[in-house]
Amino acid sequence: MAVVVPTAAQIHLEHVEKTYPNGTVALRDVTLEIPKQDFVFLVGPSGAGKSTLVRLLIREEKVTAGTISVEGQDLSRLKRRHLPFLRRKIGMVFQDFKLLPNLTVFQNVAFALRVTEGALRHLKPKVEEVLSIVGLEGKETKFPDQLSGGEQQRVAIARALVHDPRIFLADEPTGNLDPATSWEIIQLLLQINARGTTVMMATHNREIVDVMRRRVVAIEGGQIVRDEDAGGYHAPALESH
Amino acid sequence: MHRLWNRIDFAFSSAWQNFWRNAAVSVASVLIVWVVLLALGSLLLVLHSLDQIVALEKTKASAISVYLADTTPLSSAMDFKLHLENDSRVTGVTYVSKDQAMARFRQLPALDPSVIDTLGTNPLPASLDVTVKDIRDLAAIDQEVRSSPLVDKSPATNYEPNVIDKIILLARVAGIAGLVLIIGLTGLSVFIIMLTIRTAIYLRRKEIEVMKLVGATDWFVRWPFIVEGLIVGVVGAAVAVLIVGFGYRPAVINLQSVLIFIPLAFDPVYLRVVLAAMLLFGLLLGSVGSYLGVRRFLKQ
Repeated sequence: MAVVVPTAAQIHLEHVEKTYPNGTVALRDVTLEIPKQDFVFLVGPSGAGKSTLVRLLIREEKVTAGTISVEGQDLSRLKRRHLPFLRRKIGMVFQDFKLLPNLTVFQNVAFALRVTEGALRHLKPKVEEVLSIVGLEGKETKFPDQLSGGEQQRVAIARALVHDPRIFLADEPTGNLDPATSWEIIQLLLQINARGTTVMMATHNREIVDVMRRRVVAIEGGQIVRDEDAGGYHAPALESH
Repeated sequence: MHRLWNRIDFAFSSAWQNFWRNAAVSVASVLIVWVVLLALGSLLLVLHSLDQIVALEKTKASAISVYLADTTPLSSAMDFKLHLENDSRVTGVTYVSKDQAMARFRQLPALDPSVIDTLGTNPLPASLDVTVKDIRDLAAIDQEVRSSPLVDKSPATNYEPNVIDKIILLARVAGIAGLVLIIGLTGLSVFIIMLTIRTAIYLRRKEIEVMKLVGATDWFVRWPFIVEGLIVGVVGAAVAVLIVGFGYRPAVINLQSVLIFIPLAFDPVYLRVVLAAMLLFGLLLGSVGSYLGVRRFLKQ
């Protein structure tokens, strides 16, 4: 079945279902559109399907039914050998940072360029550029265990930025951070968004979502239960959607 | 060019790190590769030597030397020669005197001429070298000449009907036994290299996760492990090649001095072929083992 993908949406999910091999239904009939330069909070209880949605977007998992397109590309038809090039368009950060402990800050960021065969001539200026965006100048030679949690997440963000991604996915990026540090990370994501990158952040952090008043997509039991602009963590009592 | 260099540099430096990071496992796989290649090289050289012997024995197959008693006068020997020449089965007869026999004997490889000189008298008999049309007639002729009083009794002839068959059988048995051994060892070494690669992949699982996350291609992730397998193959092969390369000649010389009458020769051309084959086989073991390793353990 040919699905016409509207060009306006950068991320487009159409009746997406995801059932894991063990029978767990993670997502059912999810339809979602995210236009370019949007800033979206993905909220919901643990196990609601947020992480599954993120994994589907970088095609770590395939949909059981329905279609997902990213940048006009139908992910279920994406060949495995083209997958790396999708990943280069999408920057990703996680709750646990996923830094390499035996590499310095500089090397951790440079690693992403080296393994994707970015031209080495431009490696140093590019790494310095993204490190200055996240405010880590002067920490280049430190190792991850010499940094605070917030600084480690900044390194991860810098690493996710080296390919100038069009989309930035953050899966619980503040999950391990104290409130003050969390706010610094959010400021950074806003800054990235302001540079023209679409940002999607899955989070449990109620305070941040409520204060920010951005688009909120709430998932519960594998379904989208709420999608509102300038929303809060919980649905307003009388709002009908 | 820049990118290619980056790819090669990354693959080799990671592979080298992997090799030393799990040094014990790496050394085990180098050892097994070494054993396989040593067996392969030795087998090829032994079979080649047996081939040499068979080839030489075959040229001698249609001929028989009839040894004459030292008491036989030359005229009687010539009569006997004539008698044999008149036999329809015989194509030719050559008389070899005691002195000629000694001259031939002196030409045997690895024989010290000074040893012969200490003998004083010449112990070798004169002989009639008879060639026949059909090898199958050799047995009958052998029987006939033995009854002649002119013929030496210890031994009467050099007729040994089964020697070629025995050598061919020996070569075949050695070949099959060696092949079975090498096939078994090959399977074992591929398996051990696979485990080595698996260990390396496990030690690098975090890096691999990050590489895939930031968009490294499958082959960029795989290459370091393939190169590690190749390093194992090359190192194992190199050690085996050195041993066989430097050991073949002394081994031949030693055997020549023990087995005087067996025509064994050092064959440098064939040695080079064997060494090249060993190196190639080492590379093959390394690449197959590591390919299976990355195939099985780097899915997704």
